[in-house]
Amino acid sequence: MKFKIEKAAFLEALQVVQGVVSIRSTLPILSNVLVQAQKSQLLLTTTDLDVSVRCSVKASVQKIGATTLPVRRLLGIVRELPEGEIDVEVDDKNLASITSGASYFKINGIGDDEFPPLPKLTGGFSYSIDQGAFKEMLRKTAYAVSTDETRHVLNGVHLSFKEDKLTMVATDGRRLALVEHEVEFPETAERDLILPTKAVNELQHVLQDEGVLKIHALDSQAAVEFNDVLLVSKLIDGSYPNFKQVVPSSCDERVTVEREGLLMALRRVALLTTDKSSSVKLTFGKNQIEITAITPDVGEARETLPIKYSGKEITVAFNPEYVMDPLRNMDNDEIYFELTDELSPGVIKCDIPFLYVLMPMRVS
Amino acid sequence: MAASVIQLLSQQVANKIAAGEVVDRPASVLKELVENAADAGATQIDVEIVAGGRKLISVTDNGKGMPRDDALLSIERHATSKIRDVDDIEKINTMGFRGEALAAISSVSRFGLKTCAAGEDHGTEVVITAGTIRDVRDIGFPQGSRVEVRDLFFNVPARRKFLRTHQTELSHARDAFLLLALANPGIGMRLTVDGRETYLLPGDSSLEDRLRDLFGPTYRNNLVPVDRELESIRVQGYISLPTVNRSDRKEQFVFINRRPATAAILGYAIREGYHSLLENGRHPSVFLYVTMDPGLVDVNVHPTKKEVRFRKPGDIRDLVIASIQDGLKAGSSAGSPRGFSGDRANVAPAAPAPVDRQLTIEHLPVTRSFRYPKIPLAQTPPLSAEDRAGKSTTTDPVTHAAPTDESSGHEAPWSWCRVLGQIGGLYVILETEDGMVIMDPHAAHERVLYDRFMRQVTDGAIVSQGLLVPQTVELQPADADKVRGNLDVLQSMGFGISEFGGEAFVVDALPACFSSANAEPMLLDMVESMERGGKDGARADAYKKAMATAACKAAVKANDHLTLEEIEQLVVDLAQTELPYTCPHGRPTLILSSYRELGRKFGRE
Repeated sequence: MKFKIEKAAFLEALQVVQGVVSIRSTLPILSNVLVQAQKSQLLLTTTDLDVSVRCSVKASVQKIGATTLPVRRLLGIVRELPEGEIDVEVDDKNLASITSGASYFKINGIGDDEFPPLPKLTGGFSYSIDQGAFKEMLRKTAYAVSTDETRHVLNGVHLSFKEDKLTMVATDGRRLALVEHEVEFPETAERDLILPTKAVNELQHVLQDEGVLKIHALDSQAAVEFNDVLLVSKLIDGSYPNFKQVVPSSCDERVTVEREGLLMALRRVALLTTDKSSSVKLTFGKNQIEITAITPDVGEARETLPIKYSGKEITVAFNPEYVMDPLRNMDNDEIYFELTDELSPGVIKCDIPFLYVLMPMRVS
Repeated sequence: MAASVIQLLSQQVANKIAAGEVVDRPASVLKELVENAADAGATQIDVEIVAGGRKLISVTDNGKGMPRDDALLSIERHATSKIRDVDDIEKINTMGFRGEALAAISSVSRFGLKTCAAGEDHGTEVVITAGTIRDVRDIGFPQGSRVEVRDLFFNVPARRKFLRTHQTELSHARDAFLLLALANPGIGMRLTVDGRETYLLPGDSSLEDRLRDLFGPTYRNNLVPVDRELESIRVQGYISLPTVNRSDRKEQFVFINRRPATAAILGYAIREGYHSLLENGRHPSVFLYVTMDPGLVDVNVHPTKKEVRFRKPGDIRDLVIASIQDGLKAGSSAGSPRGFSGDRANVAPAAPAPVDRQLTIEHLPVTRSFRYPKIPLAQTPPLSAEDRAGKSTTTDPVTHAAPTDESSGHEAPWSWCRVLGQIGGLYVILETEDGMVIMDPHAAHERVLYDRFMRQVTDGAIVSQGLLVPQTVELQPADADKVRGNLDVLQSMGFGISEFGGEAFVVDALPACFSSANAEPMLLDMVESMERGGKDGARADAYKKAMATAACKAAVKANDHLTLEEIEQLVVDLAQTELPYTCPHGRPTLILSSYRELGRKFGRE
């Protein structure tokens, strides 16, 4: 195998695929990237057996072939090489020679036949969606995913293709984020799937703002294709909780709040909480929200925020992180806070089809 | 001439005395009657209990039944169909054989027996009160027998006084039923308590089916099968993975030739089989069925036949140990569920293969690794973990910090430290001004969380986080009782829990310091430690402590993934706790090798 490639292009492609490689893999082959030199392009593939990423990049191939090379080592070398062309030649003992200008490296690889093959992607349904929109949907939901392994169906983002739209939901049982986007597909292609956190994280790293993204859903796998990248992930098996019952059908009060202002105020008040399980109190009174945190032995913080409000006074305690998470991941100037009382769920909405439900904390 | 002082006791008195041995509470009545039914070849046994068994225990079977003469004889003492002569005792295949049970039970209750043997055109009813036959008549009855025991001990006030509350007697009776249901998976069984059906177990079940019916559909996932044979002894059944353990031995069941049995040697063998895989005070669940030549085991040690003796105890012990270890080995290689203590099991055999990490620390500073040429190393002097722990606790300030227990007087264990790395996939190595510290991050995290939680409890500032979807938790009857009895304590801990009918509870909020999304395992751990706390004297304070311990364990398990920053924060937090050197259960969190100790070992001093 022999090829010549631009440093910048090679580096970019390697950075796309290196993310899934586990630092502490017990199988040496999983630390390697599969390099396949084809007619005029290079295919780079990595996997951790759950998620696989393949990226294609243009190269002038003098001799086709395939091998696997340690991805971090290779990435390190390519990153440090000067701008310009890189020559790579791999002999039949999987020894790769890398030459660029005055630099010369030899690194040991492993045969490509040991590399786990990508799962076969036949059957299933395909959906097309704008890449930027998909990325934005992930951003608006992924933070709410549960990390508790005892309820594995919550360890991923739920994608529901139904009624001409994609509904994306994530929850950890205490709060829930939901966002919708119109997508065209035949009625026969309606289905639900749960994309695991690892795949979601990878996608968030490598997705770009423009272009078309294709999702190919099979029974236990899903493939996401965009630009020159193909990501294949196992799906989480199981049925996602019925999220529709979580969304309150009505509320007593609806308040318009300036997003940035609320976020900043919460960040400051949260400085006086001690750990992740602390609460802050939000009091919705006449034309203002008062946000307070009182921690014994530490101190207290109080902040007021002007709003237009003339409803009943409501005091409700929330985990500040749970309120800040959606605020950080929205771009709207104004949001709507919907409340009923101190025990009922609060809802955050905005002008786009986004919805965030969070349960209050009870302080004894 | 004085009357003879010593007199032969009447039959009735003798029966009453015997009853004391065989029947001590409703549960033992249930056991005797169900065993009789099983011995009669029944394929369906229905048990009914009212008021914890004090009012009524009835057992109905579809076994072979008895003709009238046998029915009358059956209630005589030492009347049995199960053995004929002395030699038979040596090779008992039935559950009962002493011929005491019915005589004893009928002498201390209002007793009714209805039975009909196969081929008879009518059945027989016998009514006995306190051992005296009141009525015998022909009745219509399907083939089989029904025994009703009402008002147990109504004529033995001494015994009655020692009966506990309905709830307690019921739970003993339920345990007895459970044991019998496990011993006889082939027999369909039903338990009705105060008119409510508690268990409905279909007949012809495999052991696997029976376990599922008794313990719920997911229970089996945590068990591995065992099956091993040596000479004429065979051990079969299921044992729990080390990840799944309890604070009591309530789920350890051993059956010798289908007979529930205990023997010191068996308990020892189970402990030994799990050697080092479980923390002190944690016990596995085991369901072991030993089949052996009846001649090799003596069941006639005790009237209730609970304890057995073996002719070759060593063989049994070794076989049980070997079968447990086999099972665990097979279970762990087949990809056991990830968990804290479970993974430790994989590490234990010090395999040269890459260790299975128990804790992930991201972005550790890069460490350099070396390859040495193979030089046979001299054996280092044996220094077990206990020795080291012992040494470190004596050299550490803990000895003078602990007994005084003054938070003001307590010293942080170090003024600075640096996290160097991780070894064995778990332990964190720190450099401090005194030397090298090995920290168990799980134990340390437990201590930190425990302190934080205790502070909240003592401040009365428990915060609970509401759940979006209230979770319904279905518990085993015995566990449900415990939860029901402690609802108010759980609520004060931050659990939004209320009864949901039957053995179900609905949880709509969890203590905020737990990130877990699953309420059930947390509740179970809580009730277990509550029960333990209860035994220790039930002071409200002790209660809370026990619960905090359980709580922290739940919290720690959820955090198997730490970044370097989190580890550093953990070290800082740990230094601020009152007793940084041990976890709430008393295991060490830190082992210090001082520079002096290192210097001495390297021969520099």
